[in-house]
Amino acid sequence: MFLNRNIIGIITTFLIIAALHGCGDTKSVPKAKEAEAAAPVTDCFESREGYTSVQRVENVVPEYGYPNVKCSQATTGVLWWGDPFYDTVPMGDMPIVDDETRGDYAIAEAVVKPRESKLMYFNMEPTKHCAFCHNGKMVPFPKDKKPRLLAAHQDIVGNSLQLMHGRAAFWCLDCHNATNRNRLIDHKGNDISFNQPQKLCGKCHGEVYIDWRLGIHGKRIGSWTKEGKKRWWVCTECHNPHTVQILRYNPIKPEPPPILPKGTKNGDHEITKGKETPLAGH
Amino acid sequence: MSEEKKESERQSLPSEDDKTRRDFLQDMGAAALLGAAALMTGSDEAQAKTTWAEWFQKNYRLMTDEEKKEAIVRVIEMEKGKFMAENMDKGYPNSTGESYGIQVGGNAYNLAGVTLEGQHYYEAESVPRKDAFYFPIQCQQCEKPPCVKVCPVRATYRDPDGIVVIDYNWCIGCRMCMAACPYWARRFNWGDPNLPKEEMNPKTHYLGNRPRMRGMVEKCTFCVQRTRHGRYPACVEVCPAGVRKFGNLLDPESEIRKILERKRVFRLKADLNTFPKFFYFID
Amino acid sequence: MSIIRFAIDFVKYVLTGGIRYYVWLGILGILIVPWAYGAYQQLIAHGMIVAGFTDQISWAIYEGNFIFLVGVAAAAVTVVFPYYVYKYKPLKDVVLIGEMLAITAVIMVIIFIVFHMGRPDRAWHMIPVIGIFNWPNSMLAWDVLVIYGYLFLNFVCGFYNMHQTYTGRPINEMFYKTFIYIAIMWAPSIHIVTAFLLNTMPARPMWFHSIMPIKFLSTAFAAGPALIIATLLIIRKRTDLKIPDEAINFLSQVMLWCLGIAIILTFSEVVTELYPSTEHADQLKYALFGLHGMTKIVPWLWASWIIMICSFLLLLIPGIRKNYNILPVICVVMFIGIWIEKGIALVIPGMVPSPIGEIAEYSPTWIEIFITIGNWAIGLAIFTFLVKGAIGVMTGEVRHPNFDNRNASQGGH
Ligand code: SF4
Ligand code: SF4
Repeated sequence: MFLNRNIIGIITTFLIIAALHGCGDTKSVPKAKEAEAAAPVTDCFESREGYTSVQRVENVVPEYGYPNVKCSQATTGVLWWGDPFYDTVPMGDMPIVDDETRGDYAIAEAVVKPRESKLMYFNMEPTKHCAFCHNGKMVPFPKDKKPRLLAAHQDIVGNSLQLMHGRAAFWCLDCHNATNRNRLIDHKGNDISFNQPQKLCGKCHGEVYIDWRLGIHGKRIGSWTKEGKKRWWVCTECHNPHTVQILRYNPIKPEPPPILPKGTKNGDHEITKGKETPLAGH
Repeated sequence: MSEEKKESERQSLPSEDDKTRRDFLQDMGAAALLGAAALMTGSDEAQAKTTWAEWFQKNYRLMTDEEKKEAIVRVIEMEKGKFMAENMDKGYPNSTGESYGIQVGGNAYNLAGVTLEGQHYYEAESVPRKDAFYFPIQCQQCEKPPCVKVCPVRATYRDPDGIVVIDYNWCIGCRMCMAACPYWARRFNWGDPNLPKEEMNPKTHYLGNRPRMRGMVEKCTFCVQRTRHGRYPACVEVCPAGVRKFGNLLDPESEIRKILERKRVFRLKADLNTFPKFFYFID
Repeated sequence: MSIIRFAIDFVKYVLTGGIRYYVWLGILGILIVPWAYGAYQQLIAHGMIVAGFTDQISWAIYEGNFIFLVGVAAAAVTVVFPYYVYKYKPLKDVVLIGEMLAITAVIMVIIFIVFHMGRPDRAWHMIPVIGIFNWPNSMLAWDVLVIYGYLFLNFVCGFYNMHQTYTGRPINEMFYKTFIYIAIMWAPSIHIVTAFLLNTMPARPMWFHSIMPIKFLSTAFAAGPALIIATLLIIRKRTDLKIPDEAINFLSQVMLWCLGIAIILTFSEVVTELYPSTEHADQLKYALFGLHGMTKIVPWLWASWIIMICSFLLLLIPGIRKNYNILPVICVVMFIGIWIEKGIALVIPGMVPSPIGEIAEYSPTWIEIFITIGNWAIGLAIFTFLVKGAIGVMTGEVRHPNFDNRNASQGGH
């Protein structure tokens, strides 16, 4: 008798302890989520907030009822392209580099989003664009490329004597056509469209340019196959040439972090530890 | 001043100045020297004393600066003639406030390395954050996938194009694969799916993005419903910085092969020999 | 047709008993009620979301119980082996109890696995020919094979033996011994393969130890005899079956030394992990000390170690080992200690941190606890039935009407 009571007592005590210890938080059975259909975000950006804006248009692909883009509720960034080629134009001729960096995948049909329509000053006047003011009379054509303090466009370049590109090696008119302000210009005097900045940037940034042509720098969407049509992102869709020296890529607000694992209180162990002693690892 | 003088005296020790040497030797621990004297013959007494003192010396790290100087001098004395010991560095104080390191190759200095068993979360206002090293992980579509090996019913298998897929209707929910995957790439459907109908993609694939029932495992499929129709995976398209690349590994001209050719590439946990087809590169 | 008669008589005997017997079954029956509720919630109504699992900790209490019980099943060999191989006579009547324990434990293993699986309804996918049995690739396929094989072997051995005793017919030595020897060899394999299930996963560094199979066996051969000893002492008290002291002393020796080996192996594992203290030691550190303030497993692990070490030290003293009032208490406590070690402190830390460093906490929900307790109640009920029936056969209370007296003397084993 004695022994049996002991055994039962121990088992019972144990079960009670186990139960008390274990049952901190009982998960409630979640009901099927109410479809609280928040209105979809229509005012979105693709890679640079404020410079690559895009409007959501419904039912662009009628077969599936896809809109052109779906955007993040949290950041208004584009998360998904229903039609990757919506609102694009042909990229235009690009010289094919004929060596091992050729990039066979660059010969497929290529489209881009025109940049000109995104430029604020360019579109202030709908037909003459920049040349409306920069016509040689209202704003005289500069005589040379020497840096000087500009009174205008300070929203783009705060201090024109300290252009944040090229580390003082060059200046606005090395890229902007002095006499045709609607266009860019390269070092040989070739006229380049704002829609094809790669032709200009690639002149100096050769390595990156080759990578870009191979499809390993920058972004492309559409078809990944060799023959498949692709939409390319051009340089200025991601980089702001006027600040690139201090800001390669404009920081963007991230999507909210994933839900922390059960029991984890915050996600910054690594950061706090790192700050104390960068060599310690964790 | 006197310290300096002493110092110069000692540095001149290897010279023939016998007196200086004797002075120096007399500074040393008396007990040790007595022992030495008893053991060694008189003729080579100085040498013997040095040997004896060397035998009894403390661990370098625990010596006082004074003792360190003496130890160095002893080495110079004893090694004389074997190599140019007199050139030995006498700069004993070690450097504080510095920490040496070597970096080879292009990997940026970072805190986490590529070991993963620590805790890795971010709570940042904006990204990229300075000094942060972002490390997205997903199913690596291993060439030798442990998840496939452990599945008792072959519900998960490697398709010929290399994508490891799951037959959602065949999986028995044993979760062996979840435990075996070294990349924690698999998720279990603990309950019934509850995504609102409007948010569902109408274009689906049997092995891909169709709604999964409860009680079975799912994972990344490289968007089979897209990629098998030539479209980039959604994760590649969404990345605002264009950091993700996708392509045919068998085609030397494809984006991914070009990266393998031109960039510094590594695979996560390559030591496990699962041959991931998910590569990380540093530009 | 003696088989049908045997079955009827066996069941009849098993279902009749004194008031104590019914009270015991009643208690177990009460535990089935919350079990039924939990089973309905998990298996039918909502799925595993009602349990405490997360994607980080996707194996937990069911898997832990499964592993533990495989060990208990394998431990039957600690009585079968000495009796048949070393002809150690005092274990004569204990062998059958061991086999009943093995059958019970394997059935419990299967029940726990049903609750562990997300889709038990699809279990037929494993059946060769109509489904796909990924053998020999999948370690789980091996495990299924050895566990069902073991159930079959023990069932055949145990019931063939009982049936022959029941009818008084002689045992066919060729047939019976073949099965017995296969079963003896088979027994360790079930726990070894179960260990392989875990320790072949480099993704889970805490399990990735070649020591695991032998450690599993040693803990199992401590826990199993503990349960058998407790059972034997109850049988001695409550039934007419005579269990010699030697049998119990022998088993307590086995238990003692297997426990000692288990402690050494645990110690080796800890030193191997903590001395170099690589990142791969994080899982063990989580179990031992907690990580980032998450310490749910810590008291369990230490409790199990303290129990194991104290039991070992106490059992070393012959006076205690042979004191049949204290021995069962130690046995039960140690059984629980090893259950904690396998059921809680082994499986869950293997999941924390996850292979990519996520640290999560696991706490079972009430439903999980109901189901676990219920499964144990079912197991204890099955064990009670089987043992009672076996004793009935051995003591001759269950007997064929045309019992053949000629062989009665050499009946049994
Ligand atoms: S990453 Fe994991 S899930 Fe993906 S193929 Fe490899 S082992 Fe399987
Ligand atoms: S959970 Fe499904 S896919 Fe994974 S091992 Fe089990 S049956 Fe296979």
